Amino acid sequence: MEALAIRDDMGDKTAVVGANTLQLIAFSIGEQTYGVEITTVREIRAWNGATPLPNTREFVRGVINLRGTIVPIFDLRARFGDGQTSPTKNHVVVVMSVGDKWVGILVDAVSDILTVSRDDIHNVPEGNAIDTELLNGIVTHDSRMVGLIDLHAVVSGAKMDG
Amino acid sequence: MSDLDDFKATYFDECSELLSELEEQFAAIEAGERDADRLNAVFRAIHSIKGGAGAFGFSGLVGFAHAYETLLDYVRDGRVELTDDVVTLCIKANDIVADHVSAAKNGEELPAEYGHEEKVRFDVIARGGSGAGSEDDDMNGEIIEEFDIEFTPVRVELKVDEAEESGEDDAFDAPPLEAAPGSWEVRFTPFRQLYARANDPLLLLRELGVLGEMSVRAVMHDVPALGDFEPFGVYCSWEITLSAPDLTDAAIREVFEFVEGDCEITIVPLGATLSRSVAPAGMPAAAAEPGVADLLALTEDEVADVAARPAAAAAPAVEEEPALSFADLADEIKASAPPRPVAPPPAPKPVAPPKPAPSGEGGEDGGNRSVGVQSIRVDLDKVDRVVNMVGELVITQSMLTQQMDETLRARYTELVRGLEVLAQTTRGLQDSVMAIRAQPVKSVFSRMPRLARELATKTGKRIKLETIGENTEIDKTVIEQLSDPLTHMIRNSADHGIETPEKRRAMGKSETGTIRLSAEQAGGNILIVVEDDGAGINRERVLQLARDKGIIAPDITPTDEQIDQLIFAPGFSTADAVSDISGRGVGMDVVLSNIKKIGGSVHVRSWTGKGSRVTLRLPLTLAVLDVMLVKVGDSPYVVPLSSIVETMQCSRANFERVPSGGQVLQVRGEYVQTIDVAQRFELPTQTDPDDRFVVLCETEGSQKVALVVDDIIGQQQVVIKSLEENFERVDGIAGGTILGDGNVALIVDVQGLRATQFHKNAA
Repeated sequence: MEALAIRDDMGDKTAVVGANTLQLIAFSIGEQTYGVEITTVREIRAWNGATPLPNTREFVRGVINLRGTIVPIFDLRARFGDGQTSPTKNHVVVVMSVGDKWVGILVDAVSDILTVSRDDIHNVPEGNAIDTELLNGIVTHDSRMVGLIDLHAVVSGAKMDG
Repeated sequence: MSDLDDFKATYFDECSELLSELEEQFAAIEAGERDADRLNAVFRAIHSIKGGAGAFGFSGLVGFAHAYETLLDYVRDGRVELTDDVVTLCIKANDIVADHVSAAKNGEELPAEYGHEEKVRFDVIARGGSGAGSEDDDMNGEIIEEFDIEFTPVRVELKVDEAEESGEDDAFDAPPLEAAPGSWEVRFTPFRQLYARANDPLLLLRELGVLGEMSVRAVMHDVPALGDFEPFGVYCSWEITLSAPDLTDAAIREVFEFVEGDCEITIVPLGATLSRSVAPAGMPAAAAEPGVADLLALTEDEVADVAARPAAAAAPAVEEEPALSFADLADEIKASAPPRPVAPPPAPKPVAPPKPAPSGEGGEDGGNRSVGVQSIRVDLDKVDRVVNMVGELVITQSMLTQQMDETLRARYTELVRGLEVLAQTTRGLQDSVMAIRAQPVKSVFSRMPRLARELATKTGKRIKLETIGENTEIDKTVIEQLSDPLTHMIRNSADHGIETPEKRRAMGKSETGTIRLSAEQAGGNILIVVEDDGAGINRERVLQLARDKGIIAPDITPTDEQIDQLIFAPGFSTADAVSDISGRGVGMDVVLSNIKKIGGSVHVRSWTGKGSRVTLRLPLTLAVLDVMLVKVGDSPYVVPLSSIVETMQCSRANFERVPSGGQVLQVRGEYVQTIDVAQRFELPTQTDPDDRFVVLCETEGSQKVALVVDDIIGQQQVVIKSLEENFERVDGIAGGTILGDGNVALIVDVQGLRATQFHKNAA
C-alpha cells in the first residue's frame, strides 16, 4: 500500500522515460548517495558563498542571487543533523523547484543520472524519525543505496522558533 | 467567445473609470459648480455605461441608466432645475448604477425592483419639469429595451439657437423645423458599405414604419441594363414619407443610427422641396464617416464629434438650417464658451449650449480635466518588467561607475564621459518609467465619498467628506494597497470619531462632522492624512479594553501617544455594540499591516473632544530604494535612507547602560533605544567597538532607534527583491537586494527590529 502511495506522489511530476521508470540526479553527502527526481532540478552550480540569513536554523546557509531572484540555500548535511558543511569551491548547489518556490541544496558532489524502476523503490524502514521524515523511499542502484529526498520536508521548519 | 470576454473586461475597466469620473463631477456639482461642462461630462459617462451595457445585454443596467439619462438630458437642456434634491437623487443614482455594474461584472442578478423607486422619481421630476414630455419618453422607452447606442447629443446641438432665444419654460424642445411636427419626407440612399456590413434596408424601413404612417417609393432610375449590372453595385434608393403626431426628425434619425455613415439620409418636413437635398456636399463627408463598428471603438468625444458631423453635412439640404450650419454653430459656441458667469446655482435655466467636441477644445482649457490626453492600456505586468529591468540597469550602471578607479579615469577620459552620460540617461529612464506607474490618488479617493454617504445614512450622523491633494501621484502598487486602509480609517472616523448631530450641537460644534482626506508629497514620501473633527480617541476606554483583552499588561502605564497607537493592535475594538460598519475588531490592524507591507508607517494623534488624525507615510515607489550600505559581521546589509536621521562613529557616541544590560544612546538630550545589529542577528564581529558606527533611524510616530553596525560603506540605489518569493519572511529583515558585485544584501527592517527587541526584553 505504502509503495503505491509513493508512486502516486511522484507520478504527477515525472517526465516519464518508460511508463514505470524514474530518472534521478544522484549526489553525495559524505559516503552516502541521495537522489532527487530529475524534473525538479533547475540547475547545478558550484558553491560561491551565500549571504547568511539571521534568525534562521543552522541548515539555512543563506541566500544567493540567481539571475536576479533571491534563492535560499539549504545545507543538506546540517538538515540531516550532521553539522554544517564547510563548503569549498568543489561543493555543489543543486537548484530545484519545490512547489512554486526555487531552493538550492548544498551537497558535496553530484555523481550521475540514474534511471530506476518504480518497482524498485522500497519503503524507508521505520525507526529514526529523521529518516522517515526526510526520505520518500529508498532505491538500489548498482548495489548502492540511494535515498530519495523529500524536498518539501527538507525546506520546512527553516525559521527559528521564538 | 474569449473576444467577447475581452470586450467585457475592457468595458468594466471603462465603467470603473467612468464611475469615478461621475463621483468627481458630482463632488464639484454638489459644491456648487453647476456648469454645463460638468453636466455634459456626467451625461457622457452615463451614456457610455448604458451603451456598453446594451451591447452586452445587461438589461437591468440599461433600463436604469436610460431613465437616469433621460433625467440628465432634461437637466442639461434646462427643462429640469438642478436643485439640491435632484443632485442628491443623482448621487444616489450613481451608486445604483455602480451596483448594477458590479452585479453585471460578477454575473449576479439584482432584484428587479432595485432602483425602481429612483426610476419613478426620475420620471416624476422629468415630467414635472417638462410638462409635455410624455410622448418622447414612451417612444424612447420602447426602443431602449433593445440595443441602444443613440447619439442624442446631435439633437441637442442642433437646437442651440432655440435654447438661447426662447429661454422660457415653454421651449418644449421643438425647433422651428418641427413647429408643424408630424410629416416628414425622408430620402434614404444606401452606400455600398451598408450592404457590406450586412445591413438590410428592409429592416430599416420596417422600423420606420413603426413610427407612424408611411409610404415608400423606391427610386429605380439608376438601375442599369442587365449587361452593365454589377452584382455588388448599389442602384436603388428610397423616398419615404412618414406622418405621425409629434414625430421628430431625431426619432427618424435614430432608426438610421446603426447605418450612419453608410448611407445618405435627408430628412425634411413634408412640403420642403427634396430636390436640393441631393447636395453634393453630403457625399464626400458622409463617405468618410467610419462605420458603426468603428464608432463603437471611438472615445466619447469622438463620438460626439462624429455624431455631429453628418448633421453638419446635411445642413445645406434644408432651408432653415443654414442658420445652424456647423461653422456658425462653432462661432456661437465660442462666443458663449469663455467662463461667463454661470447662472445662479438654484436656477441654471439658460444652460450654456452643449459644445460639439471639435470646436469645444478651445473652450475646455478652463477645466483641469484630462480630455485631450491620449492614452493606451498596457498590461501592468509589462510595465513591471520594464521597471525591473530599469532597476537592474541602474544597479549595473552604478557598479560600472564604482569600478572606475583613478588610474582608469586618467587613462580613459572618453570612457568616463560615456559613463557619466549613461548615468544621466539611466536616471532619466528610471524617472520616466516610474512616472508610467505613478497614478493620482484620485482613483482611490474618489471611492470614498460614497462610503461616507453610506456611513452617514447607516449611523444617522451628518458627515461631510473633504478631499485635498487628490492629484498627488503615487506608484500604482502603492495605490492598490491603499483602498482597504482608507476604507477602514474612514469607517472608524465615522463610527467612533464623529458624534451624533445632537451631541455635536450640545458641544457647540456644527452638526455636520467633517472627515478630511488629504494627500501630499513630503520628500521621498507621500503623506496620506485622514482627519476628523469628532470626539477623538477615548483613551480611558482604549486602555481599559486593551487591559481586558490582554493586549497590554495591567502594570504598565503607557503614555497618551502609546494608548492612541493601541487602536492598531490586532483584535482591538472599542465599539460598544458590534455594528456592521465597524466593531468586529478587524479594521485598524488591517490598516497597519497593509501599510507596513508596502514599507510605510502609520501614526495617530488625537485631541479629546476635537478630533483625531491618522497619518500614513508611504514610499513614493516600491521598486527602487535609496539605501545606506553597511556591514555587519562579514555580511552586507542595507538600511533604507528614508528612515535614517544621522550617522556617527561609536567613539563619539554617548552610550549609557540601562538595568536590562542594554544600552541607550544619548543624542541631544534624548535617550534612544540602541540595537547592536551584530548581536541581534548573532553575527560574529571582530571590529573594535570604537570603530563601529551608529545609524540613528526614525520609525513610526517619530520614535527613534539607534542601530550599531560594523562599518558604513556608502549610499546607493537598490531594487527590492522579495525573500518570500522563494523562502519566507524573516524577522528583522524587510527583504533582499542584489549588489553590484552580484551578492545579496539584506534590507534591515528597522521597525521590525524595534518590535522584536521589545519582545525579547519582555520575555
